[in-house]
Amino acid sequence: MAPPSGLHQSAIPSDFEKPFPALVRSSTVPASLKSHRADPSHLAPEDAYTPTSPPRQAGIFDTGLDSRPRHIRRNDTSRSRSRRRKRFQKLLWVKQSYPDNYTDQATFLENLQRNPRVQPYDFWPLVADSTVILQHVCSVIIFIVCFVGIFQERVSPVSVVGWGSFATFLGWLLWDWWMTQEDQISAGESGDLTRSMRDGRIYREYRPPRRQDSTSGPGLHQALPNNISTASISSTSNLPSAASSTTNLLQYSHRPNPIPHQHHENASQNPAPPKLLTPGHSHSRSVSSVHSVTSQNSANSPTSTRGPNHDLDPDSLPNTRAYLRVSTIKSAILIYFTLLGLSPILKSLTRSTSSDSIWAMSFWLLAINIFFFDYSGGTPSHISGPHKTKKMPVASLSTNAALMASTVLASRLPSTGQVFSLTLFSIEVFGLFPVFRSYARHRSWRYHFLLTVLLVLGAGGGVGIILGDASATSWPWKRGLAGMVIGCLISAVAIGGCSWWLIGMQKYKNEIYGPWDPARPIIISRRHWDDD
Amino acid sequence: MAPTYNIAMVSDFFYPQPGGVESHIYQLSTKLMDRGHKVIIITHAYEGRTGVRYLTNGLKVYHVPFLVIFRSATFPTVFSFFPIFRNIVLRERIDIVHGHASLSNFCHEAILHARTMGLRTVFTDHSLFGFADAASILTNKLLKFTLSDVDHVICVSHTCKENTVLRASLDPLMVSVIPNAVVAENFKPLSPSENPSYPPPARPLTPHNIITIVVISRLFYNKGTDLLTAAIPRILENHPNTRFIIAGSGPKSIDLEQMIEQNVLQDRVEMLGPIRHEEVRDVMVRGHIYLHPSLTEAFGTVIVEAASCGLYVVCTQVGGIPEVLPSHMTVFAKPEEDDLVAATGRAIASMRANKVRTELFHEQVREMYSWENVAVRTERVYNGICGAISEGEFYGYYEGGGANNSNSWSATRGRSGVQSFALIDRLKRYYGCGIWAGKLFCLCVIVDYLLFLFLELWFPREGIDVCPDWPRKKRKDSRE
Repeated sequence: MAPPSGLHQSAIPSDFEKPFPALVRSSTVPASLKSHRADPSHLAPEDAYTPTSPPRQAGIFDTGLDSRPRHIRRNDTSRSRSRRRKRFQKLLWVKQSYPDNYTDQATFLENLQRNPRVQPYDFWPLVADSTVILQHVCSVIIFIVCFVGIFQERVSPVSVVGWGSFATFLGWLLWDWWMTQEDQISAGESGDLTRSMRDGRIYREYRPPRRQDSTSGPGLHQALPNNISTASISSTSNLPSAASSTTNLLQYSHRPNPIPHQHHENASQNPAPPKLLTPGHSHSRSVSSVHSVTSQNSANSPTSTRGPNHDLDPDSLPNTRAYLRVSTIKSAILIYFTLLGLSPILKSLTRSTSSDSIWAMSFWLLAINIFFFDYSGGTPSHISGPHKTKKMPVASLSTNAALMASTVLASRLPSTGQVFSLTLFSIEVFGLFPVFRSYARHRSWRYHFLLTVLLVLGAGGGVGIILGDASATSWPWKRGLAGMVIGCLISAVAIGGCSWWLIGMQKYKNEIYGPWDPARPIIISRRHWDDD
Repeated sequence: MAPTYNIAMVSDFFYPQPGGVESHIYQLSTKLMDRGHKVIIITHAYEGRTGVRYLTNGLKVYHVPFLVIFRSATFPTVFSFFPIFRNIVLRERIDIVHGHASLSNFCHEAILHARTMGLRTVFTDHSLFGFADAASILTNKLLKFTLSDVDHVICVSHTCKENTVLRASLDPLMVSVIPNAVVAENFKPLSPSENPSYPPPARPLTPHNIITIVVISRLFYNKGTDLLTAAIPRILENHPNTRFIIAGSGPKSIDLEQMIEQNVLQDRVEMLGPIRHEEVRDVMVRGHIYLHPSLTEAFGTVIVEAASCGLYVVCTQVGGIPEVLPSHMTVFAKPEEDDLVAATGRAIASMRANKVRTELFHEQVREMYSWENVAVRTERVYNGICGAISEGEFYGYYEGGGANNSNSWSATRGRSGVQSFALIDRLKRYYGCGIWAGKLFCLCVIVDYLLFLFLELWFPREGIDVCPDWPRKKRKDSRE
């Protein structure tokens, strides 16, 4: 039983400072087989260097190019000794002078690669990525807290659903505003030339005063006849600089990548640090000058014949947005009244089932929700464009499990109003909130972080309040505060610990690649057959 | 007088289904019978073929009725094959059970039961597996289970050996490399006496002669059909007097047809569709160059066949392919579109320059690969595991130092260098397969042993007829 301990590993990546030990047989061999490892009659790596090896004679294949130490196995029969002169070759068509089970120490597994494509994790990015999971767990906890509050009649169901709906409405407005911006960016990408031609000149005059006075909405509305609806919508959302940043985006709109705009826009939107505002300002000014040049060029160029095509774009855009808004409101009203109608039925749905079963069932359903949730943060398809991420097929399972859990939990509640409130709240938490969360993460890291902190605080505080004495008369802010602190601590420890654990487990990673793996063909002129 | 053995070849894959493993088993069995051994084949029942059959040379085939689940692999029931297997083995007085193909459930079960019954076992691996995807991990675990207690393993190429050693955590010394072979008589180049309708490869080739490039493969992703589809238009564009003949079928054939339509290459690319193995030679001799764009290949019998037909071979450098043919017969390419086009260009150029002596290829290939040679080398494996040749000679240890030699056998490998049959030794070997898997495998082995005892009681050996042997051939003197 001989270990191929002298394996040559041609390409060990330098990703790890600490080199892996050579893949020896002793690491993989069953324990029972190790017993005779020290057996002197077996092949051992040091055999390759034994001074008793017979002198090497140049055979026809021994070109002397390769001076690797080769393993010569001693054999008492002089016949075989005389035959073992040629160097072993890893070829099948050569009549080897070695037996078939000969294992050449120099060439055996020489093309083995271990962990060639491993990308080591960094701690802080890992922590940042795991906040997605934390957000979802926290929102589930908040839902449970709300249920317990309603169930113990410590919280009015109307207030829960009222605040929830208000937050949802705010979120929807924000989301809608973002969507409008995205649409305009994509429209701006397509209708780049006309836009810069038509709008760029106007903005050149308007820009300096608008920058100094960022709340000067009305003048902009006149300057932007085809963006009235978006500007008005964003001004209703109590964000004074929204209109300016919208137009600001239009100024950048010739650039292909939407992500930098967002950062600029966020930076300029944030009123607190003025130093952030300044670079955005100077940048946009230079952009506008570029625009003016391009617009003048394109006005003279024959490409401006594409004009009519692009005239349609900006006009139709607000219409689609408005249509979408109307349909959203319609479906919201539909869901509202359906739930209202269903609530009496839901109330008595599981009357014959004992509460214990309901608690167990909802626990498992929520666990399914957490484990099967689509944490990949599937970016909306119209942003990711051609690179459509494949939807996880179990993501709908997650949502369905959560709604089922909320249904069975709601059926424990005594009154129709409570049932209605909890179900509506669950739709908001499990149906709409994840969409908003993934969007917020996609938009800006800042929103994501803020949302995470809010959720952790909310969940911690809620749990603290719920665990307190139900008969306490005053508002248990102390418990809530303690819950927040503990919640923050627990989540920090959990996230940090899990990230650290995952990084620590990387040393067990052992991917093996070799010539037996199917090659990955490199095809340049891929045309239409890259569907698999 | 070397000993002769009663050998049972066990695999899910055998005729009437065509394929590489099938013909390997058949050819090896035939040549082993020529060397005086008795060989039977155990496979599952194919449609319209159940029970015992004799092939023309006296090769006996048992078609055992069994549930087939996927691509003629049987349903893995660990124990249900045992009663009928024991019956066959006792009837035929089998000494060695030789299983083929790692996706064959029959083979794995047979090796397990044969070890329980105290028989020597050999396993031949024909394919390469990765380590990454879930299916491979499962297959590798099962392979580890079976091969924990096998006497010897045969692989068809050195790459395959490395793969199998890693997959099943084997001692490299108990893995032999014995390549496939071709029946060179069936793959002769076009002789002048034949007068086919198409012109024979005229030589010397001038720039105006048309060079025909032949591709014969199943048109699957892992056969590199994507590479082929991308490369053909560029090759034809670069080299005016060339044309392609493509034989084979598969899901990727539609891509090829689309490529032909798009580039209007109907008169330069001929697609023959699926062809039978007997017709392969007739297609091959129509060409000058054989193009093999496969992405993974354990051995690549088809390129040996092509070289035997006198074709210059262009192939991707993957798997075991670089080991198969000498460099003067092949042009290697990386599995990239550019490199494949460049390599084909080099091959066409050297064909036009008449640098390649393709007319000598057939004789050379005949010298390299023959099934007689494979049978001789397989026989050495049988001798080694049965103790007919000493441990030192078989495993290549030095036997000098008598004091050491007396201790040189271990608990698991017996005094003569063969694996011990004692149940406790077998359990030790299985136990090392993994924390959970080891215990599970031990449980399976114990159940198998109990089943064996039960069968011995219920169907005693005396009650099983011994079937008369087909008259054995006189053993020819081994030349090697």
